[in-house]
Amino acid sequence: MTPAEEEREALAGEYVLGTLDARAAAEVERAMATDPALRAAVAAWEARLAPLAALAPPEAPPPDLWDRIEAALPGAPAAPAAAMRGGIARAGACRWWRGWALGASAIAAGLAALVVLRPPEPVPPPQLMTVLLSNQDQPAWLVQAERDGAIRLAALNAQPVPPDRVLQLWALPQGATAPTSLGLIPPEGRVTVTPAQIRPEPGMLIEISLEPPGGSPIGRPTGPILFIGRLAAAGGA
Amino acid sequence: MDAEAPLEDLVVAVAGGDRGALRALYQRQSVRLFGVAQAILRDRDAAADALQDAFLRVSQRAGQFDPARGEAGAWLAGIVRYAPLDIARRRGREMPTDDPALGDQAVEPEALERVAAAAEGRRLRECLDALEAKNRQGILLAFVHGLSHAQVAARLDLPLGTVKSWIRRGLLQLRECLT
Repeated sequence: MTPAEEEREALAGEYVLGTLDARAAAEVERAMATDPALRAAVAAWEARLAPLAALAPPEAPPPDLWDRIEAALPGAPAAPAAAMRGGIARAGACRWWRGWALGASAIAAGLAALVVLRPPEPVPPPQLMTVLLSNQDQPAWLVQAERDGAIRLAALNAQPVPPDRVLQLWALPQGATAPTSLGLIPPEGRVTVTPAQIRPEPGMLIEISLEPPGGSPIGRPTGPILFIGRLAAAGGA
Repeated sequence: MDAEAPLEDLVVAVAGGDRGALRALYQRQSVRLFGVAQAILRDRDAAADALQDAFLRVSQRAGQFDPARGEAGAWLAGIVRYAPLDIARRRGREMPTDDPALGDQAVEPEALERVAAAAEGRRLRECLDALEAKNRQGILLAFVHGLSHAQVAARLDLPLGTVKSWIRRGLLQLRECLT
């Protein structure tokens, strides 16, 4: 190889490897448009290094990603909100979350009032509770946390889950950076769990996400958060 | 286009504007390719943005795929890596290199066995083995995690200039070995 050929090979190799900084990478891309030898060198490096992609552990993408891609393809109908790029879409999701949490707290307050007004309870009332709402603002799940740390979940208005998906329950204590899985929700929609690592407390978020069979493979929600609410003290508790 | 068709046929169909073929490619390859993007970005939202960009590139460039020059899975992975690398560069690659989740598994012997599992990876594996250890590690960290020269230098505790020249020399050695 002449020094010029060696330089071209090294540059193409570093471009494919990814170590070039933004400016150098952009220069390589510009030069490739007019330099068939550089283009061929880059293609050869892509083929040479391609088997290294097997070193990255496979991971399921978010379930809505295909819809975003399809909406962004040329000729797709005007981009719906779901096709917006990350930042904006996430900001929207946050507003949506807050909407849920507020609605859920309001209903929880209402239910708490019912609990107060209905005397006398045969069993002691739960210490904490919340109601998770559907996206039509209908009560969908009742969550009750007992004094012994058990969390009980019951479907109020069971909706079918897609056949290749499961619902997974999560708790996010205040100040925690990542939710803790409380397990999968069985198809009948009722489950009681007593998590070992966390104790239910006022303000703790309860979330339900849509996950692949067997649940999230990575220990945090991978699918959309379908329901979310905040545990609050039940009246009279 | 049959979703079970060979990947090569699907890419050729995508080049002809077949959106169903693109969807079939996504269904069969997105878990592997999202893993590639996530290994570079270590941020699921950013990796999803990257995979979206990558599939738009795939739909635009499918016409450049030549089945005679290589297999479609390798071609896809080659295209897909540029999207997360671009995002990493735009961020200034501020990701900390002391992240414990980063890097070590990429150079474990079992991980290298995965490279050799495919026929075209066997020779690459042998050629990587022939490199000096830090040289090999630098190349693998850069490829799998998208580390810049400076991040590889910090990670391997070597001067920047040394890392630059080692990676360059390692690449030229690899090329020689694979010829």
